[in-house]
Amino acid sequence: MHIVVHKTKCQGHARCWAQAPNIFKLDDEGYVLPGDINVAQEDELLASRAVRSCPESALEIDRTSAARFEPADMQPSAGEA
Amino acid sequence: MALNQVPDHVPPEMVGDFSLFTSPGMLPTPDGDPQAATACVHAGPPIFYSPFNTRDGRGTWVITRATDQRRVLQDADTFSSHRSIFASALGENWPMIPLELDPPAHGVFRSLLNPLLSPKRVTALEPAVRERAIALIDSIAASGTSCDVMKDFALPFAVSIFLRLLGLPDHRLHTFVGWANDLLHGDDVKRPAAARTILAFIDELAAMRREEPVDDFMTFILQAQVEGRRLTDEEVRGIGVLVFVAGLDTVAAAIGFDLAFLARHPEEQELLRSEPNRIVLAAEELLRAYPTVQIIRVARKDIDFEGAPIRKGDYVSCATMIANRDPAEFECPETIDLMREDNRHAAFGYGPHRCLGSHLARREIVIGLEEWLARLPAFRIKEGTAPIAYGGHVFGIENLIVDWS
Repeated sequence: MHIVVHKTKCQGHARCWAQAPNIFKLDDEGYVLPGDINVAQEDELLASRAVRSCPESALEIDRTSAARFEPADMQPSAGEA
Repeated sequence: MALNQVPDHVPPEMVGDFSLFTSPGMLPTPDGDPQAATACVHAGPPIFYSPFNTRDGRGTWVITRATDQRRVLQDADTFSSHRSIFASALGENWPMIPLELDPPAHGVFRSLLNPLLSPKRVTALEPAVRERAIALIDSIAASGTSCDVMKDFALPFAVSIFLRLLGLPDHRLHTFVGWANDLLHGDDVKRPAAARTILAFIDELAAMRREEPVDDFMTFILQAQVEGRRLTDEEVRGIGVLVFVAGLDTVAAAIGFDLAFLARHPEEQELLRSEPNRIVLAAEELLRAYPTVQIIRVARKDIDFEGAPIRKGDYVSCATMIANRDPAEFECPETIDLMREDNRHAAFGYGPHRCLGSHLARREIVIGLEEWLARLPAFRIKEGTAPIAYGGHVFGIENLIVDWS
């Protein structure tokens, strides 16, 4: 899975880092580092959750490689199933 | 313009009967739920004009959709954050920094202050925060089977963390709580008096640290440089006042609302007590359900927004509690689901002004809940009492008497 980082939209909420500190790295001010991210298959669920909790929508899952990501994406949120 | 008068450019059909100050559920109410009371706006239009939606009686446009609030708060070119909200109480005009600065000046100060409250820095502060929570809760546990969460825990906890951040001793805690109360909840006499007292205190603290630097926040500010120069006295004051005001009752109120929810929901309480690793996620849902702040911007130019003719100088209100109950953004927004994922809540705002203290606030809330649940048995609202909650510019809860006898 590939995540597009819209660096200029990041406002330092750090919700991605809080959920997946090994995938999303922050600079010294607490904003996401620039550069798109390749996510290993075993981390896809965690990474996609982190993407979906960004209040600014600064992270985006690259849909062109979305096929492998389907299981996580299709899963309803806990408690809302 | 007279207070509470609808400006001529506002079409009468766009005036809405809703205010965070005066609508049902907003005045101090026993067992009140002011955040839930704001949800009624979602049945109406995406934007309307409320003539009674500030403390000083000015009207505001009210943005009811989370996605539109995001648009407003991300667009600092159109919507200014400079209101001089503190200084104007004294008849003065200077910004609290960085809140009331607009880009690009905002970014300069934000870069200066961000590292002091970054996630990394907050991790370093965590042991002290936890130690403080434990000390307060152990003392509560030792003294009986009932307490007032606000007076005995939430306020002293939040204020002492802030004192530690500023490098001040704990023994002034009650003085500061008193000032904060007068400033945020006092009448027209108490409020400016408290503002003057806080200002004098900040100026005095700056003078002391200038003379004798120590390793603390104020000394850092005094020694810092922006754009190759030292900060002016007014800038030092603008930062000091904001740090004082912003960190006090917001965190305390959040902890109060959260523990009130848990006191009323024994099964959720037990879930978090038996599985404390769920608290981090639950805290986000509690932030969604019980945010405390109304964010206001001032239009810098005329703009048509979702059919509303916003004119330069108009106030635009982005109430976090309204965004957080938006059904277009959150499935079943009225259901408080402590396992909710994908929680893009607006408790800390959106855009460049995203709450600078959000990471510290989060940790305070999480640690407060962790230690509370670990150290006290099942608790409930004490029989015969009813916590009084209220709306306004900062939502809050006056008292929360809980019992675990």
